[in-house]
Amino acid sequence: MMNYFPDEVIEHIFDYVASHRDRNVLSLVCKSWYRIERWTRQRVFIGNCYSITPERLIRRFPGLKSLTLKGKPHFADFSLVPYDWGGFVYPWIEALAKSRVGLEELRLKRMVVSDESLELLSRSFTHFKSLVLVSCEGFTTDGLAAIAANCRFLRELDLQENEVEDHKGQWLSCFPDSCTSLVSLNFACLKGEVSLGALERLVARSPNLKSLKLNRSVPLDALQRIMMRAPQLADLGIGSFDHDPESEAYIKLKNTILKCRSLTSLSGFLEVPPHCSLAAIYPICPNLTSLNLSYAAGIQGSELIKLVRHCVKLQRLWIMDCIGDEGLGVVAMTCKYLQELRVFPSAPYGNPAAVTEKGLVAISMGCPKLHSLLYFCHQMTNAALITVAKNCPNFIRFRLCILDALKPDADTMQPLDEGFGAIVQSCRQLRRLSLSGRLTDQVFLYIGMYAEQLEMLSIAFAGESDKGMLYVLNGCKKLRKLEIRDCPFGNMALLTDVGKYETMRSLWMSSCEVTVGACKSLAKKMPMLNVEIFNENEQEDCSLEDGQRVEKMYLYRTLAGKRKDAPEYVWTL
Amino acid sequence: MSPTLMANQNQGESAEYLNWLLLLLITFSLLSLSLLFKVASAVYIYKDPKMAAFLFSLDQFHSLEDMGTLKLIGAPQTQSSSSSSSSIDSNNHPSRTPPPPSSPSSRVCRNRTDLSTDLRLGLSISPSSQSESPFNPTPREESFDWPPIKSILRSTLVGKQSHMIQRPSLFVKVYMEGIPIGRKLNLLAHYSYDGLVKTLGHMFRTTILCPNSQPLNSGNFHVLTYEDREGDWMMVGDVPWEMFLNTVKRLKITRADRC
Repeated sequence: MMNYFPDEVIEHIFDYVASHRDRNVLSLVCKSWYRIERWTRQRVFIGNCYSITPERLIRRFPGLKSLTLKGKPHFADFSLVPYDWGGFVYPWIEALAKSRVGLEELRLKRMVVSDESLELLSRSFTHFKSLVLVSCEGFTTDGLAAIAANCRFLRELDLQENEVEDHKGQWLSCFPDSCTSLVSLNFACLKGEVSLGALERLVARSPNLKSLKLNRSVPLDALQRIMMRAPQLADLGIGSFDHDPESEAYIKLKNTILKCRSLTSLSGFLEVPPHCSLAAIYPICPNLTSLNLSYAAGIQGSELIKLVRHCVKLQRLWIMDCIGDEGLGVVAMTCKYLQELRVFPSAPYGNPAAVTEKGLVAISMGCPKLHSLLYFCHQMTNAALITVAKNCPNFIRFRLCILDALKPDADTMQPLDEGFGAIVQSCRQLRRLSLSGRLTDQVFLYIGMYAEQLEMLSIAFAGESDKGMLYVLNGCKKLRKLEIRDCPFGNMALLTDVGKYETMRSLWMSSCEVTVGACKSLAKKMPMLNVEIFNENEQEDCSLEDGQRVEKMYLYRTLAGKRKDAPEYVWTL
Repeated sequence: MSPTLMANQNQGESAEYLNWLLLLLITFSLLSLSLLFKVASAVYIYKDPKMAAFLFSLDQFHSLEDMGTLKLIGAPQTQSSSSSSSSIDSNNHPSRTPPPPSSPSSRVCRNRTDLSTDLRLGLSISPSSQSESPFNPTPREESFDWPPIKSILRSTLVGKQSHMIQRPSLFVKVYMEGIPIGRKLNLLAHYSYDGLVKTLGHMFRTTILCPNSQPLNSGNFHVLTYEDREGDWMMVGDVPWEMFLNTVKRLKITRADRC
């Protein structure tokens, strides 16, 4: 029936199909749909930048306007991927520029972005509107200056948790006076100072500014002036909250805050005075749906508790564990609409007042809508996990990290297999899972049996034998990313079902029992995979013997073949 | 048999008996004397506070060893200094030499227990005066890939920790003889008598003698004394440092020739 419709009609229908997956499915229906879908596709998501060459992507989707790229594997966040492994964005920008793609939006995660790439980006795409960089590195404030100066219609510059070198230039001043289109500006991760005058003027001429996240160098009085000029702000990241409670600036700020009725998201507090009181914020708390205090290391637990009592509409909460189990109980009583919770460790190596399983159980009882969790705690029990599974069957993301990596159930000293088993059995929509604590192969049996929708699994210090990994590879049909560190999984687990890896995006194994020989044979059998081994020995002539244990292995499916930008210590087999 | 012979024999036997008896008596008396002596000396020892203190400190030392922390300090592990801003430095990563051929599970078990020891290590090292809570956060260099938090968050926290760690402090008054205005000093900022004496020497611009040295000309030197919990003024340096910290109330620097 669809054959009788002209292409324009089908195109119009396809406009309503936005999600990447749905569009991928559409393109598989028939040749004409593939063709139409291809020409009308505007947003493309590439989960692994080495899975395809930029040229091939551009050939297929010439109408590309928005590109999302991810580079390094997830464990790169925790310093497990050596420096200069790869993930360079320059070739992509170069290819897009050469093909005159009308790029408007670029979103990058864990990639290496050089100043040259930013400069090329700023000059090549006249309608460029949005740059989002998450956990990237390799650029300096000079690159930002180029973006500010050359992107005339820039709407969004969002820098989340990047490592940016400060070159002391006045990059903020590089926004021309004609730039009035800013909607979102986030420079919270920058370490250096910015020109406060330029910042205030920029805010003043940006009537559409909805999201502004400042870095720690912006003092309280500047914050107050900025908030005065932008009462329409919905999302604010406070830089420095350091103040003298008696000062005029602070009193002014308190009054200004009262006027910001449209604020629904608050973050930052990167610098706070000791024994800081957050009373100035209480008036806007009832409107907040998102609160991120994960970098506010100076705020005491008692103060956090007092703040949270006012946040009745909260849907997303990122907080440090100094709030304690008691504080989480308050969250459970107050935030009935909570959907996402992240509790971070306030001292990297544990804090005696940190959270335990009790806090998590309290949350599960009070917040039935919870679907995403990242929880760093210092102990857990099976009973608690079973209770949580019963109370919150809607989990999509469940990530637990017990700071003492091999700790068993704190009450019974048993492994935590039963607890996690209950989670996967009860939460049928679970897509992402991170395990922690003492675990045997049993937990993997449960995961293989019940976690049907699981797409990403992170394992550390768990399992007893190859069977564990096999249960997962056999059972989880939708598995896309598997990352394993410090587990006793070896060659048998790796080689039993090699076809599985082509259905997945990537596999990471570090400090496991896999040998070079097994990796070589895997690479031979599966030409569509890049099997990379990182050989960080400083010895020059070390040829890899087959029996040698592999320290780090990363494999991913690809259409691009072996990559040419790998550093010396990466061996692609 | 002649009667004299028999009499002689009897006499011999009784002499023998006597000998045995005498021997027994002597041994017995010796034993009781030694017992008495032990008791007396014990009483003497425990009456002497210095001795008692020394014995007490020995006990402390043993209990530390039993905790196992001291043995584990030397265990080499994958350590590297975590730089605050740059997250990845592969050169610091020690290369793993291939382990000797052994069954995989035991190898991994060893690795895993090593790591868990390592983790526990970082979490349980604490100044001995602190309680033994396993998660006492001490700013010690630790593995930079556990716990799994982003390096930018880790560097923020480590920075904050060094500001915020409320180092427990013990400020005591220090007077120097002849000077009416005293000073205050944080004893917990030092780890031994040497450090203390050096600091005080700078503070008061004098040389403070250590307790055992006897200079010929004791005119211009000072010695350090302290008032303990019982109100007695004692010479600093006789008792172990930790014991000293527990009993000191204030310090006084007096002229050497007064002592």
